[in-house]
Order: sequence, then structure tokens, then C-alpha cells
Amino acid sequence: MLEASFMATAVLYAAASLAYYVLLSRGLGASERYVHGLLGAAVLCHVAFVALERQARGASPFVDIHGTLTVLSLGTSIAFLLATLRYRIAVVGAFVTPITLAFLLGAGVSHHTAPLTPGFAIALLPVHVGVTVLGLVAFALAFGASLGYVLQERKLRRKELTGIFRRLPPLDVLDTVSSRALVIGFPLFTAGVILGALFVARGASPDGISPAQMVGLVTWLVFASVLFLRVLAGWQGRRAAIGTMLGFACSVVVLTMYALGGGAS
Amino acid sequence: MNEIAVVGLSHRTAPVELRERLSTATSDLAAEVVALRDAGLEEALVLSTCNRVEIYAAGRSAHDVVKRVRAHLEQRAEGSLAEATYEHVGEEAVRHAFRVAASLDSLVVGEPQILGQVKQAFDAATGAEGARTLLSRCFTRAFAVAKRVRSETGIAEGTVSVSSIAVELARSIFGELSGRRVLLLGAGEMGEAAAKSLADRHVVLRVVNRSTEKALALAARCGGEARDYELLASELVKADVVISSTSTPGFVLTEELMRDVVRARRHRPLFLIDIAVPRDVDPRVGALEGVFLYDVDDLQSVAEANLRSRRAEAEAAERIVAVEVAEFEQWRRSLELAPTIVALRERHLAVVRAELEKTVSKLHVEPADRAALERMGEAIVGKLLHPALHALKSAEEDRDALVAAARRLYELDRPREDPSPAGAEGHPRGATAPVPTLDRGERR
Repeated sequence: MLEASFMATAVLYAAASLAYYVLLSRGLGASERYVHGLLGAAVLCHVAFVALERQARGASPFVDIHGTLTVLSLGTSIAFLLATLRYRIAVVGAFVTPITLAFLLGAGVSHHTAPLTPGFAIALLPVHVGVTVLGLVAFALAFGASLGYVLQERKLRRKELTGIFRRLPPLDVLDTVSSRALVIGFPLFTAGVILGALFVARGASPDGISPAQMVGLVTWLVFASVLFLRVLAGWQGRRAAIGTMLGFACSVVVLTMYALGGGAS
Repeated sequence: MNEIAVVGLSHRTAPVELRERLSTATSDLAAEVVALRDAGLEEALVLSTCNRVEIYAAGRSAHDVVKRVRAHLEQRAEGSLAEATYEHVGEEAVRHAFRVAASLDSLVVGEPQILGQVKQAFDAATGAEGARTLLSRCFTRAFAVAKRVRSETGIAEGTVSVSSIAVELARSIFGELSGRRVLLLGAGEMGEAAAKSLADRHVVLRVVNRSTEKALALAARCGGEARDYELLASELVKADVVISSTSTPGFVLTEELMRDVVRARRHRPLFLIDIAVPRDVDPRVGALEGVFLYDVDDLQSVAEANLRSRRAEAEAAERIVAVEVAEFEQWRRSLELAPTIVALRERHLAVVRAELEKTVSKLHVEPADRAALERMGEAIVGKLLHPALHALKSAEEDRDALVAAARRLYELDRPREDPSPAGAEGHPRGATAPVPTLDRGERR
């Protein structure tokens, strides 16, 4: 049952990714809501999978990389659906849904990694992972909007006003989504980083800072710089979008290191 | 058998002076339809736009319809129109109506206004009882065809006028334009047109010109406010969209000036439209961060590319039209067939009822048995007529000939006496009811 719900979720995410891709590349007219419906079905299936797994394991999903990636994937889908309701950025789904699928598949291959270390601050771990995941969800959305921005900006600059140019949302909308997601995600991610640093300081990780945690710090620095330059130096548009994409790429590296087992220290 | 015909003149066939002379104001469309009906046309619809004047009409003979419509138009034009008009009858008239409504026959293929104009013409014709069976169905389908063409092909994608491209580009950068700041620099005609298109979107419009009087006059025409030329740099920093169309020979917006402006704007996106010839904006400005520079050639090449892509989409649209025309023709022919089928059935049922009445009046038949006998009679008629009706319904090429043969053989067009049962309609019980010719033949 557990496996079946995982498979069904993955298939539905794959189908939704394909549908969003068609929406972006060819346009589907009034069929946009059916594509959202497909992603909605994937989300419901995903919720069922998370519930079944929690029941089977009897623990919060936030205790290892498998659970983290599972919830990160679910959260990204939900955040995108909410954002598209507010900002009408349906085609951005073509960038976001493959990420949710990748997170889910990552969870699928990282079942047995990162077991709880004895003596670990068990009560705080789910909080650390939880807020970090929420921050990453916002960053994934910011990444999707930023990628849309960079593509749309390039089309406008090259004066190629056909194809996806007509279907991508306006630059201003994409910049707003990216900026707001960053503003929401950064404090959460920062809280996650601080809690992570506390674990390291209190010796919860006996070997000190791991390579994954180092890259995590770099991620934080990149996002902090983008936010700083946005707020104080008035950075907008392409530079901010590229910075956001770079920050998200760093966070993907961290997650990959954890998933491959190199993150646990 | 009614047929549709259209006689008209358009931008392809007639000069604007003639089109103007024959055009009808929207408020007069219904009166025009009434005049056409008075001229002996069963149905009529008048479509009058700046690019075309067309009269669609329906009647028993297409030839007669065309003759009457042409006479009406020539009376209005006070002269012969032979060279300037075109005419289509039957299936081709329906195809023309569908193509016009779907904007396939427009000067700018895919432009959206024509559909609204056709709807106005249809409403006026319906109000004046000019669009009944054939024209009503034809134009209702034309609207559906136009909708299909717009949603299933890319014929309406991409605007094709410089002003609307400017608006479309501004929207692709800023989304909602309401409240955005637009700076109009110079007093060129195209600049004014583009500024007016943007002003329709409730932007905040500022006008800067070397001549204050011109700036004031332009601001008044476009619904904006004039600013002194000295304030140009600060207005550039505040603006979201700049439309430049001065007559200055050199660059007005130099790279040096714009570099400072971009810095002061903190790289906030700026959409620069340079409509001036010679250009107002140094082309190197387009490479600055956050600046999207389009000159008149860029806008025109976008217009041409959009037009080319619309024309390519028109092929798909023509296929939709062809399918819909075929469906309409099928419906029209079924309309002609239906009265023949009804008449055939009625003729046979009348015979059965008359014979039944004669027979049962001599016997003691219970009402339930009588009902059963009536049902039997109807079933016999159904079975006897089945091969003939099937042949009529499935006929393609020779349907008209078969319908005509059936009507002649059974004398369906000949006025006949009431063949209803005699007893029920006042004939003395037992008397022979008047029956159609066929009955007598059958009795023999």
C-alpha cells in the first residue's frame, strides 16, 4: 500500500510535469485548471503516502533525509498551487513540478540513510528540519519564478516575442513572486541554520561541521546576499533572479549530499 | 427550397469613397433590413464596417435574391456596381459568412473587432425579423465558428499594430499597467498614438517636449500632464515606459545619460520605445541592465512576424470553416427533406385512418381493439415507407431529384381535400370519405 501510494504520487507528479511543460511550450487555452487538477491529485496522493508512512514508522517525517525530501516535495507542490491562485503563474509549474518530482524520487532512493544518532537532541531535530524545509519550499518557488524571469527577460532582450514569451507571466509578476518567496523563506531557513549550528555546538554531531553543513552555510550566505542587495541596494530583476537560482542550486547540492549519505556527521 | 446569397463590396474590391457611400450606421441597420424585406426578400442581414458593406439574404431562388440585393445596392449607390461587388450563393455564401465572422477575410487577419460588428448586424436583423430560419442558423453557427477558430488556432495571437505591440510589450514587462508611469518625449504622431493606447490603460502619463506649448497641447490630447524639458532626467528615473518620438537629428537619450538614469533607478526595469526616425536613443542603451529598448524597426518586424504567423494559422482556420460549412449544408438539406417526409407520412396515415373508420363503423369494435388496429395501421405505414424514407435520408448527390420525384409521385405539392375520417368530421356514418388519389389507385 505504502509503495503503491509512492508510485502513484510519482506517476502523477511526472504527468503533471509533462502537462505543465505542454502548457508552457504550446499553451492549452482553457485547460489550465485541469493541469492544476492533476497536480492537486498528486498532492492528495502524496498526503496519503506521508500519512501511511507516518503510521508505519510511528515517527515524524522530519527525522531523516527521506522524510525531509518527502515533505519538501509535498510542501513545494502546495506552495506552488497557492502561489498560482494568487499570482496566476500556471506555466511556472513547468519549472516547479519537476523539482517536486526530483525531491520525491530523491526520497525514494534515500530510505535507509541518516539514522538518528544516539543522544541527539530528538525534540529539537524536527523543529530544525521543519523550519529548514519550509524555507527550502519558499526557495524552490523563488527558483521557479526566477527561472521564468531569466527566460522571459532573455526573450524580451532578443526581441523573440513568440512561443513561450506569450505564455510566461509578466516580468514584474515573476520578480514579485521570487522576491516575496525569498522574504518569507529566508527567516525560516535562517532559523533552521541557527538550530543546526546549535546541534553542532552542543556536540550533537560528534565530528563537527560536515561538508553538507558547510555548503548549507554557503547557501545561507548566497540567499542573505541576494536579500540584502534586494532590500538595501534595490537589486531587481535578472541579477536577483540569477542570485536566487544560484542559492537554490546550493541547497540542492546540500540535499544531494545528505541523500547520498555524506551529510550525516 | 430557400437559399442564402451575399452581395457585397470590401477593401479588396471597392475604394473607400464607394464603401463610405454605401455604409450604414449601426442605428440604421434594422431600417435597412426592413427596406430589403419590403423589396421582396424573405430574410436579410446588413453588415457594414469601415472595410466592407455586405448584404446577406435568403429566398426561394438564389438568382432572384442576388438580383434584388444588387438592385437595392445600385439604387443606393445611384449607379452600376458591377466591378466593385462580389457575390456568393448557397454553400459559398455560408462559407463567406463564416470566414468574415472568423476574421479570415479581414484586412488584418485575426483582428477581433469584426466579430462584434457581425453580432451587431445579426441583432439588428433579428430585431427587424430579417434573420429567421436560414440566416439565423447561419450566423449563430458563424459565431461558433469564430469562437472555435480563435480558441483552436493562433490566428488572434500577437498584435499587429505598432501601438498595440507597444502596449503588449509593456504588459509583458509590468503586467497590469494601471498606475504605471509613462513618459512621452517629443510630439511625433506615432508616439502620440502609442501614448494614447497606453493612456487607455489608466497609466500616469507625463509629456516632455522642448516646446512647452506643444507639450501642453499633447498632454491635453492624451490625458496627461506636461513637464519642463529640464526635468527630463528626473522623469526618466521615475518612468516605467518611455516613448520617444522627437524630431531631433542626434540622440536625445545618450548612453551616458541613460547610464546615470539606470543607476538612479537601481536597475528597475525600463521599457524604452524609440519611434523616432532618425532614432532618439543610442542603441547601446539597450545593453544596459534593466533596459528594454525597442525602435520602430523592431516594432514593425514584430508586427510583420505576427502577421505571418497569423496567416500560417489561417490554413488551420480554413479547415475548421470547411467542416462547419459542410455541417451547415447538411442541416439545410435536412430542413428541405423534413417537410417531404412529414407530408409522405401524413398522406399514408390519412389513407389508413379513412379506411379504418370505414371498416370499424360497420363492426362492433371495443375502444381498446380500435386503438390496437390504429397502431397496426401506423406500423404498416412505417414499414411500407421505411425503404423510401431511408433512400431519401441517405441520398447524397441525387437527394434533390429524389425529393422532387417523391413529391411528384405522391402529389405532395397539390392542395388536397381533408382526408380525415369522415364520421368524426361530420360526414354521415358509412358514407365514403374523400380520399386522396392514391387511395383510389390502391382500391383499384
